[in-house]
Amino acid sequence: MGRRVTESIPGSPGTAAPTGVPFFTQAASFERLWPSVRRQIEDVLDSGVYSNGPKTAELEAALRTYTGARHAIAVGDGTDALVLLLRAAGIGPGDEVVVPAFASAAPAASVALVGARPVFADVDPLTYGIDPASVEKAITARTRAVLPAHVFCQPADLAGVTDVAARHGLLVLEDGARSLGMRWAGVHTGLIGAGGAVSLCPTTTLGALGDAGLVLTRDDGLAARVRALRDHGRTAPSAAVSQGTASRRAAAAEVARQGELLGTNAKMDDVQAAVLLGKLAGVEADIARRAELAAAYTRHLRGAPGVRRLPEVVRGSRARVDPVFSVYAIEVDDRDGLVDHLARAGISTEAYPRPSHLQPCFADLGHREGDFPNAEEAAEHVLALPLYPDLTARQVADVCAAVRSFAPEGAL
Amino acid sequence: MSVVDSAPAVDAAPVPYSGSLLDSGARELLLDTVREVATDPDQRFVLGRRTAELERRLRQRVGTGDVIACASGTSALGLALRAARLGPGDEVIVPAFGAEPLASTVLGVGAVPVFADVDPLTMVIDVADIARRLTARTRAVVPAHTFTTMADMPEVTRLAATHGLTVIEDAAIAQDATLAGRAAGTWGQLGLYSFFPAKPFGMPGEGAAVLSDDPELARTVRALRDHGPGGERRSVHHEIGPHSGFDEIQAGFQLARLATQDARIARRARISAYYSQRFAPLRAHGLSAPAPDAEQCHYVYAVQTRRRDALARHLAAHGIGTRVYYPLPLPRLPAFAPYAPPGARWPGAEQASAGHLALPLHPQLDQAQVSRIADAVAAFFR
Repeated sequence: MGRRVTESIPGSPGTAAPTGVPFFTQAASFERLWPSVRRQIEDVLDSGVYSNGPKTAELEAALRTYTGARHAIAVGDGTDALVLLLRAAGIGPGDEVVVPAFASAAPAASVALVGARPVFADVDPLTYGIDPASVEKAITARTRAVLPAHVFCQPADLAGVTDVAARHGLLVLEDGARSLGMRWAGVHTGLIGAGGAVSLCPTTTLGALGDAGLVLTRDDGLAARVRALRDHGRTAPSAAVSQGTASRRAAAAEVARQGELLGTNAKMDDVQAAVLLGKLAGVEADIARRAELAAAYTRHLRGAPGVRRLPEVVRGSRARVDPVFSVYAIEVDDRDGLVDHLARAGISTEAYPRPSHLQPCFADLGHREGDFPNAEEAAEHVLALPLYPDLTARQVADVCAAVRSFAPEGAL
Repeated sequence: MSVVDSAPAVDAAPVPYSGSLLDSGARELLLDTVREVATDPDQRFVLGRRTAELERRLRQRVGTGDVIACASGTSALGLALRAARLGPGDEVIVPAFGAEPLASTVLGVGAVPVFADVDPLTMVIDVADIARRLTARTRAVVPAHTFTTMADMPEVTRLAATHGLTVIEDAAIAQDATLAGRAAGTWGQLGLYSFFPAKPFGMPGEGAAVLSDDPELARTVRALRDHGPGGERRSVHHEIGPHSGFDEIQAGFQLARLATQDARIARRARISAYYSQRFAPLRAHGLSAPAPDAEQCHYVYAVQTRRRDALARHLAAHGIGTRVYYPLPLPRLPAFAPYAPPGARWPGAEQASAGHLALPLHPQLDQAQVSRIADAVAAFFR
């Protein structure tokens, strides 16, 4: 039956045989996982509930155990996680939230989506996380929270951010978009501040086969609000009310107690929860495999011409960091030239050429080039190389050889 | 009249309110589709070629300019409101009886929901009450089709044209329904369908689509969806939109199910018609049921009675599941009460909230089950 689906679509996959090194694939490991994923999906089919159902609850329990979080709340995607976290924290119109200038657009856009104002701060050139000193300069009387993002392989300077936040009475909300498994001082990221958002999108350490996200928090109140917000502000109705067997007065009273929050639909699909559960058992092995591949990249690329920086885990004096190589990002002199060179060799890479403060959608904030030099430097030079458990050592060597063979125009 | 030709079977097992989404073949279809998407060389899992193909097929099926798949019905309504550039200072008229997103999405874009009453029997927005709630700030109206009934779209669009209002047609439940020969979802400048499992074209997950004949509005909806902050591998963001994806797994499933969609709708229509025929004689006894009508929606079959709670208990005692969808009018929910003008009343919505009770309506019900349900309802009123 699946075959028929394929045949009905123009450009069938058979015509697109992969060559070179794709930026991401999990096709081979999925085949190995299929028996266990299949069993998980059969559970979903048996339950007949396809979102926010029993399989999603099972995933939440498993991720509570894995992260050590008191609450792990499954939502539709990583942006839902940020938006619901901000709303559950009571952030809205009139408030300001300090966000990093070099990150995905999600932190700043989520702040804007809840009606608050994103205020940018520069990032640290080594960790690419928000710079506490720059955060301090961005604080005004309206600042309510700071939203550090943990990018590439390590957390932002959480000691510094927590200090600034404590001095100014700000909430710390963490965008741990790709941080599943990443710990700081032994605590899973997202649980250092009031709460954290995690994306479980396909390319992350624990990736669904579609959209999925997660909120982590220790705070019971915040957790209850996130749970209600993801389902239209509703709290679970009693069986009597949902079946219409409650008295009119009891039903009206119960409904009146519900719906106090202005909610939305941010539910995770149970099919995605099933895929994630099927993959979760292997997540530590995947993280170890990513670290191995990252170390291999670093060995091959040390001293390569045109490469100005390799990833470096900053071992802070105040806390142990458990890195997770969700992305292997290097800095190179001629980034766009290298992208083209690698593309010609069939190697796909990813660049992040525009820092958030210079995105057209934030033009009304009035930023210009030069406002956040580290973020702009990163945007100009950072290049992410393919990194995923299915990548082979041979492919890493091929990518590195291709990087080394790149001679920018004018170079010797 | 019978729903199926085979002889009714004796079946005393409970009849749950909800049916299974998955008829024969659908289990294997879902499993095959997951595996196929997971191992597809293109490794694209959201808004890929299957989603594009589903959009194209739905455009043809419905006969509309554009169909834009997105994450949920709520998300679709939010995208439509943003595309229509509704925001702070604007008022949007919505029905007082219905689901929370009708009002929460309006507040989500910074506009104010103005609640219009519904007809107490059909439970859809009362066009005369829309006219009464118009102010200088009214910019749009969101009629929503409810249970089996389409809103009076000819009258809504006429009124909207007179006053220069945008019509966003909430056809979340109404896919494959028509009114005066015109498909649900195509009456306004923007419309939407939901594919939530219980919906007429339900699927095993969350998803929906925005419809528009207006190329500029459709383009804006796409830009808002695609330029959302969660979008992968996009470097320039021109709009702050909510990321709203559509999973390739679901698109693959829906593509394969299009071929059998008409049969599922026909099955629901036959069950619905059977109920209406059985319940017509009970009107004198206090039961209000939808009239048999070829142009109705095929979502939820809801009757009304002043003795709703007693009827629900009676049916529960007979092993028959029922559901109350909206126990209170929207303006009486705490989140929306601040937008209810002091002293305003919605008697139609109050009556619908207190009186409606939904009976099982899904394609897997057999003749014995629907007979038993109709018999139990009739016994209560006689």
